[in-house]
This record gives sequence, C-alpha cells and structure tokens, in this order.
Amino acid sequence: MRLFYELIKTSFRQQLTYRTANLAGLATNFFFGLLRAAILIALYGTAQEVAGLSLQGAVTYTGLTQAVIAFLSFFGWWEVMDSVYSGDISSDLLKPMRYYTFWLAKDLGRALASFLVRGVTIMAAYALIFDITFPKSAGHWLAVGVSLVLSTMISFSWRFLVNLSAFWTPDARGVGRFAFILSWFMSGFLMPLRFFPDWFVRLCHLTPFPATVNTVVEVYLGVLTGPEMAQALGLQMLWFLILLTTCQFTLRAGVRKLVIQGG
Amino acid sequence: MQHAIDTYRRLIAVRIRSQLQYRVSALLDIVAMAIVTAVEFGALALVFQRFESIAGWTLGEVAFLYGIVTAAFGTMDLIFGGFDPDTFGPMVQRGTLDQLLLKPVNITLQVLGSAFLLRRFGKIAQGIVIFCIALSMTNVDWTLAKVVYLPVVFVSQVVFFGGLFIIGATSTFWTVQRVEAINIFTYGGSELMSYPMHVYAKWMRRFFTYIVPMVFLNYYPALYFLGKPDPLNGPAYAPFLAPIAGFGMLAAALGFWRFGLKHYTSTGT
Repeated sequence: MRLFYELIKTSFRQQLTYRTANLAGLATNFFFGLLRAAILIALYGTAQEVAGLSLQGAVTYTGLTQAVIAFLSFFGWWEVMDSVYSGDISSDLLKPMRYYTFWLAKDLGRALASFLVRGVTIMAAYALIFDITFPKSAGHWLAVGVSLVLSTMISFSWRFLVNLSAFWTPDARGVGRFAFILSWFMSGFLMPLRFFPDWFVRLCHLTPFPATVNTVVEVYLGVLTGPEMAQALGLQMLWFLILLTTCQFTLRAGVRKLVIQGG
Repeated sequence: MQHAIDTYRRLIAVRIRSQLQYRVSALLDIVAMAIVTAVEFGALALVFQRFESIAGWTLGEVAFLYGIVTAAFGTMDLIFGGFDPDTFGPMVQRGTLDQLLLKPVNITLQVLGSAFLLRRFGKIAQGIVIFCIALSMTNVDWTLAKVVYLPVVFVSQVVFFGGLFIIGATSTFWTVQRVEAINIFTYGGSELMSYPMHVYAKWMRRFFTYIVPMVFLNYYPALYFLGKPDPLNGPAYAPFLAPIAGFGMLAAALGFWRFGLKHYTSTGT
C-alpha cells in the first residue's frame, strides 16, 4: 500500500513538471471547447431543451468533456505498449507489485495532476465565459467525485487492455488507434449520447465507454438523480470489475507468451 | 528547377517504398485515418436527426465545408508533413536537422521530402467522400466560374495550412521544445473551418478574419458555391480572397522560415 501511494506521488509530481506542455494542452482543450460550445448553441437555436438536456447543460457538457481529456488520457496512451516493445517490461515485472497495480498507481498520479491542472482550470475558465451549472449539494458533489474516480479506473483498465495487445502484434498502435476512435464516439465525448438515435445508444451501452464520459457528465448535470444515479454508479463499478478481471487474464496469457519468446 | 523536382521525387519515392515494406500496417493506418474522420462526421450526422439545421445551414451544407477542409488538411499533412511541428521539433532537439543542413541539397526540399505518410490518404479519401455526400444533399448551381474556382480554393487551403506548419516548425528554432500552441491554429483551424463562421462569437470571428484570415478560405467560398446570402455583410469580393489568404500565409511563413534558418544555432547535441 505504501509503495502504491509513493508511486502515485512520484507520477503526480512528474506530470506537474511538464509545465509548458500542460499550458499548451490547456489552451488547446479550451479553444476546442469554445468551438464545440458555439456549435451546440447554434444547433439548439431557439430550443431550450433537447432530449432532456437544457442548453445550459449542453454548454456545460462541452466544458466537462474538454476538462476530462487529459484526465482520462483520451487521445492516446501507449506507455505499457512501449515498455513491452522496449523490453522495460521485464524489469517492471520483477517489481514487488502486481504489474497492473504498478501501472494503475502511475496512471492515478498522472490523472490526479491532470485533473487539477487541466480539468479544474478549464471548468474555471468556462465559468468566466459561460453560464454553466454546478452540482447543487454536498451529496451531489460527492456523487460526481465517486463517478470521476470510477471513470478513471475504467478508462485506465481498458487502456491497459488495449496496450496489452502489444504481446501479440508488432503493430499494436494500429489496434490502439481503432480502440481510441471507438471510445470517442461511444463514450459520448463527440456528442452527448442522448442526442443519438435509440438503437445507437443501446449499442453503446453494450460497451464500457459510456461509463467513462457519459456517466460523469450526466451525474454532474443532475440529469440522473436518485435510483437512476445509483444505478449508473453501480454500472460503473460493474464495468470496472469486468475490465479488471479481463486485464488480469489477458496479462497472464501475455506474460506466458512473453517468457516463451524472450527465452 | 528540374533538378529540384527530380530530387524531391526521389526523396518521396524512398519514403513510399519504406512504408510499403509493411503493407498491412500501412493499409491499416490508412483505414484508421479514414475512420477517424468518418466517425467525427458520423456523430454530427446522427445528431442532425434531432436538429434540423445549424444556424440556417443544413447537414449537406455543413458537409460541404467539412469535406473540402478535411481533404485539404489531409493533403497538406501529406505534402508538408516534414514541417509538422510534432516531428520537426524533435529534429531540432536531437540535432538531426544539422545533418540535413550539412547536405548540399536545398534544406526546404529536404524537410519536405523527410515525411510522406501514406496514411494521410485515409483522411483525404474521407474528405472527398464527405464532399460527395454534400453534393448529393445540396443543389449547387454549377457555372464554369465555380468549376474553375473550386480547385483554387482547395489549393489555397492546402498552402494556408502548410504555411501554419512551417511557422510552427520554425518557432522550434527558438523554443527547442515543440510549440503545441500552434495546434490551435492547425487542428483547431480545420475544426473551426468545418462549420459556418457565423455560429462563433464576434471576437472569434474578428480574430479569424483580420489576424488569421481563415474566414476567407472556406466559409466565404462556400457561400458563393452554395449561393447563400452572407449574414456577416462582407464585401461582394470576399468569396474570392481565398488564394490571397492562402498564398499570403505561405509566403509569410517561408519568409519566417528563411529568417529562422539564418539565425539557427544548433542545440549542440
């Protein structure tokens, strides 16, 4: 546990040292947020509410999605893949810690730093320009917090899983790119899932992706309340456990293969 | 000139041959790139079922903007890939640029020839598909002038974005680190130009009219092609400023590039 905590701290500090990169990323995310907000406002036109989402909620949605990009490493994350290809994995596997837990700690540190530097800042900047909504009660804030933590665990687990494909193919980046693209669409990152036709939404809910962005957004906006919200959080938990198990099995199979190849 | 073209062709041929060594990988990359664009546009198309129009523009009309700028950006990325600040930055950082500078071949040509990623064809193809969808969903009243002007607009956008890449690359002479802020203008610019400009706030429109003249590259020409009235009340010649904006940007960028080269001091690594 101590090691887990120290790893989070180191990775947190490491992420904070990339000051110019953080700043540039922040500016880019914010600029895209402005564009996306303008587009949604124009789409709404005179309508005040579409598919259960108010205009104010839609604008807040664009802020939230831009705020979680860095937090969830949404545009790509290849660290495990790179360590498989470079061979660094062999020393990491010797560490007195499960390989999954080792990377989880590192990713949580990175996510926490990104959340503070990129996420909170973007929402603050949004609040200055747009009339956005905030959770209304302590309980509501708590729910958002829980949902955020679960979303980063789910996101990490499936990114880890995608990276593990490096054990089987020399072109895992290609696989990874497909996976990431899929997640943009099906997580409700490109557009709120509520706007899509029902058949497509149902299809999305067969995947873990809505449990990352969409659930966080809907909990934050208060679209989901009471039992619906509890159900959504439970579903996040369930997806995390499913992915966690899948990761363990895949990793075990992969490591066996790695040992055979590495001799 | 003939010699330069010949050198360029050879450099590109080498790039293509090396990528074709991994045929499956190259093909997968092309398909992946095509899917990114298809997915982004698909999300918009699906959402359009709930909304009839965006600020008076139909899906087909937005697709018109989207298709051209996507294909143009893809083409630019193919040709000017060597100047991509994301790859050029590390060249300055590691000093590999110095190796190029030592060779008795024009440096601009060498940088242009240093990257030619076949996967860009995925984006280009997808842009063309979206453009064709746009044509089937709108009724463009084609005249000879429009047929002639369309490729001019396309080329103007290609060189405009190319200019931005060159500016981003040149900046790394001073910053050494890659300048990610340029992404706002390159990737952000192509996103911005994919939608009708009048959806944006006034200050943004002003900025992208007077400082970085993106409004003339896609939006105004589209108004002309689609025969739509101009809600921004620009002058009647506004749709025809695309080549000036595009080549103006390229010329300015090349000037900056030459200035940068003259003052380039290697990192010493």
